[in-house]
This record gives sequence, structure tokens and C-alpha cells, in this order.
Amino acid sequence: MPSLFEFLSQILNGLVLGLLYALVALGFMLILGVMEVINFSHGVLFAWGAYFAFTLRPLIGFWPALLISPLIVGIMGLILEFAVRRSYGKDPLFGLLLTYGAAMALEEIIRMIWGSVGRSIAAPAFVAGPIHLGFMPYSKYRLFLAGLAILLIGLVWLFLEKTPYGAIIKAGAFDSEMVMALGIDLRKLRTFVFGLGAALAGIAGVIAAPLWSMKPTMGVEAVMPALVVVVIGGVGSFWGTILGGLLVGMVTGISVMFMPRASQIVMYILMAIIILIRPRGIMGEKSILE
Amino acid sequence: MKRSILRATRHPIPWVFLFFLVLPYLLPLVGGYTYLGVEVLIWSIFALGFNILLGYTGLPSFGHGAFFGIGAFALGIVQLRLVQGMWIPILAGTLAGAFFGALVGLFLAKKRGIYFALLTIAFSQMFWFVSWGWDSMTGGEDGLAGINRLPIGLPGLFGIDMENVLHFYYFVYFLFILCTLLIWIIVHSPFGRTLQAIRYNEVRAGSIGYNIALYKWISFTLSCAFSGLAGSLYALLRNAAFSDVMHWTQSGNVIMMVLLGGGLTNFFGPILGSGVFIVLRDLFSAHTEHWLLIYGLLFMCVIIFIPEGILSLFKKKEPVEESLVSGKKR
Repeated sequence: MPSLFEFLSQILNGLVLGLLYALVALGFMLILGVMEVINFSHGVLFAWGAYFAFTLRPLIGFWPALLISPLIVGIMGLILEFAVRRSYGKDPLFGLLLTYGAAMALEEIIRMIWGSVGRSIAAPAFVAGPIHLGFMPYSKYRLFLAGLAILLIGLVWLFLEKTPYGAIIKAGAFDSEMVMALGIDLRKLRTFVFGLGAALAGIAGVIAAPLWSMKPTMGVEAVMPALVVVVIGGVGSFWGTILGGLLVGMVTGISVMFMPRASQIVMYILMAIIILIRPRGIMGEKSILE
Repeated sequence: MKRSILRATRHPIPWVFLFFLVLPYLLPLVGGYTYLGVEVLIWSIFALGFNILLGYTGLPSFGHGAFFGIGAFALGIVQLRLVQGMWIPILAGTLAGAFFGALVGLFLAKKRGIYFALLTIAFSQMFWFVSWGWDSMTGGEDGLAGINRLPIGLPGLFGIDMENVLHFYYFVYFLFILCTLLIWIIVHSPFGRTLQAIRYNEVRAGSIGYNIALYKWISFTLSCAFSGLAGSLYALLRNAAFSDVMHWTQSGNVIMMVLLGGGLTNFFGPILGSGVFIVLRDLFSAHTEHWLLIYGLLFMCVIIFIPEGILSLFKKKEPVEESLVSGKKR
């Protein structure tokens, strides 16, 4: 049996991972809600964020890289939206396939630029090493990451709840035709949301890079949990997504301790159980997506 | 009598069968090889079966690669551990596909659209991790090697050597004919008509009194059975079941084949799509190591420019009259 401290630190790891999952899932869900597109390329945008951090951090330092990488990824999202635009209003399959094709192409470009071998980048110096929490040592960077993730999630929440743009986005996700009827340019809104979602994936990639093993296929390891998180939390629910992210992170963290081999599978079992009890996810409500 | 012969020659099915009958002798003329032909047949079975769900029932599954993989591993496990032979392992692969499909189908029967797609992705990924982690059974990263194409015939009397690719081609061809006929019958039966009714308008079909969830579940399970069959044949073709048969890209491949050929508007679309896809992949991957880039871009172009597939370019819409592409399904 693992000791109490091991147990605690794994739970903490799980929470940190969960916050990261929640951040990735949030962007994924915004795009899903407003565009009704399953953005399969969300993961690869996450990977691009990480690789940009890998290249930019040695050049310009951590903070500028944290700002610039998501910006570039956001612009990539804007460009991608031009292609995805063709699928709006059609069967969801087409949006999914467009972004799937994009994911393939973008992943291969990563391979062409940075190679297929795994890369790694250390935590920035000011948060390197362990910190003593009073009862046990813990990784400084993970705490820093958790703080950043909470901050970003908070910013997204403020944006969605306290600004008129957020209100339009939420309304657009609820009933896009009505929003158009009110004279709001939905096309601009959609382009913007796609960019925002991509930037969120990108920034998650930047801060995850020191923890994650960087390889061209790392995108799938981010988009799959995001998808599970959204299903668990309920499509369209902000707090559902956060809760889902934390749950998925926790069960993954705990299962790493007891059966490391199965740790990747537990989240899917959790998902199956939850949709058996609540078919729309924990906080999901009936929506047009069904 | 004369009339029925005439009608038979006008029907595409005999021509498709005739084409694949002579294909192994045509392939060398254009620089192909028999192995490629077998691959086209196997993927055609996979794509035709998958199209029961996608084209006819209108359910966007993005996870059938998992059932393809399950078929491959089930064949491998049965042949390596339980029964030497061909028929029983193939049957096992098919049934395994159907069984796990039926199980997953229970979660999906009441879903549609985006939610359906999300769940199929998630479940297929789960199976992939299982195949990866359960290495005592599936060989994990290395996969299962040593799968044999054993002779087929009556034991003691005669046997046809299947290690010969040409012989194996005709074995798969035989199954391909059976499957094509079976799927043709299924989609043109009252059952198949009901599936199409569900695609047009699920609510309306439900109000007439059809048990929608049951029909969707059967459609899902059926398509998974064909995926399992195709997967087990694929394992035989490659003499192995590597973990990549289960990978999520296989789910993308099969959808691509259906769409590329025009499966949403034509029964034969998946066959054409499989052929074009396999040939293209063979051409490109021989010339560039970055084939995935071309693949991804090609994928996007097909969806943007010819979402109804190649056949839609020069053929009037036939069995599936109103396609997924045009209708907004709410």
C-alpha cells in the first residue's frame, strides 16, 4: 500500500492534472457549444502550444512565451475556422472530419519541424524544484500550474458571465438562429470563439509542456480527456466541465497509484457509469446538440 | 426470361463482382499487386457494413476502428490459443465485433448527432487503451504475431493453400460477395427502409410506432459485426494483429472511404472509396514519408469540395435518396 504522503501527493497530482484537463476541455466545449463542431484538432493545437513554448522559451523567456505562443495558436485557430466554416449547419460528422483532417496535417507538420523524437523542457527556474508544504514536499511547478489554470479558468468565467460578448456567446450556443435574428453577426462571433478556444488549447499546451512528454502525438492525449470531461460534465455547462475535469484528473491520479496500467482506462469507465446514471452528464441539460 | 437477363446485366452488382473476379489479373498490368487487391476487398466489407450505420441510419460513428481491431485480436487470440483453423477464428472475430458493438450500442441507442459521435470516439479510445495495456492477451505494443493463413478444405481430403496471396484473394472475394449481397438485402428490406426513415426524421419514425432505440442498436451491432469480420480478415492478411489496427485513425479511414466513394448517396460508394483510398495511400506513401500531411489535406478537400463523394459527380442519386449532406437534421 502506498504511504499517506504518496497518497496525498497523488491526489494533488490528480487535481493539478484535472485543472489542466478542465482548461483544455473548456476551449473544446466553447467550440462545441457555439459551432456545434467536435474540434478534433483541439489536441494538436495544444501540442502546437507546447512546441512553441519549447522553441520560444529559450529565446524570449517564460512569460513572453506564455503570451505569444497562445496568440499564434489562436491565429492558427482563426485560419482553421475558415475551412471548418463549410460544415456549419450540416451533419456534425463533417465538422468532425474537417478538424480530423486538419489534426492529421498539423501533427505531420510538427513532425517535419521538430522531428518525431520526444522532446522535453524544464520548468522555468523560478518555480523549479520542490516546495515544502509543512507536512510533505511537493513540486513547485505543479502548484504554479494549478494557480495559472485557476486564474485562466476564472478569466474565462468572468468573460462569459460579466461581459456582453460572453452573453452573446452563451446565447449563440443556446439558439444561434435567434441570435442572428437579433442582428448579431454570428460569423464574426464564430470565428472569434474558434480563435479563443484554440488559444486556450495553446496556453494549456505551454504550461503543460514541462510535465507532459512532448511528442507529435501528444495532442490525442489532450483531446481525448477533453472529450470525456465534456461528456461527464455535461455539454454546455461551464461548471460541469470544471467538475468533470477535476473528477477525471483525480481518478487518473489515484489509479496511477494502484494500477498504473489501467490509469488511462479509468476515465472512460467513469464516463460510462456517469452517462448510465445521468445520460446528459452531471450538469448537462437538454440541448440542441442531441 | 430474356427480360430478366437484360435486367440482370443492367444491375451494377454482377459487374462489381465480375470486376473483382478479374482484378488480380488486371493489377499487375497497372503496376499493382494482389496484396493490394485483398486490402481493397477487406476494407470494402468494412466500409459497406459501416455504411449501414452511417449512410442508411444516419448515425455518425467515429469509433468503428475499435471493432475492426477487436475482430483482428479476437481472431488472433482464438487461433493462437484455442482452435487452429480459419472458419472458427473468423467467426469468433465477427462475433466479438458484434458482441462489443452490442455492448457499446446499449449506451448509444438513445443518442444521436454530436453526442453520438462524441461517445463513439470515447469508447473506441477506451478499447484502444485496453488492447494496449492488456498485453498478456493482445501482446500490447508488439501485437500478436504468428497468425497463420491455414489451408481451407476438407481435412484429410483436400486443402487449398491460403498462404498463397492469390488463393487468399479469392477466399476473401467469396466472403466479399456474401457480405455485399447480405448488406444489399438488409438495406433494401423493410428493416433497412425503417433505418432510412430514422435518418430522415427520427421523431416522425418514432411517432409511427417504431422502436427507434432498438433499430439503432441493431444497426450499430450489425455494422460492428462486419467491422469484426473485416478486422479478422485483415489480421489474416498481415499474419498478425498489431496494436495499430485498433487505432483511432482506422475509424477515420473507414469514414473517409465511405464519403470519398459517395456512400451517403450510393450503395456502391464504399467499395469505390476503399479502392481509391488504398491506391492513393499506396502511391503517396511510396513517394513521401510525410504522407499524413497529404492525407490530412486531402481529407479536408474531400469534405469541402466533394462531400457527397466521387460517385455524386457523375451519377444521379440512387438508393439513399436524400443525403446527410443536404439535410439539416433537427
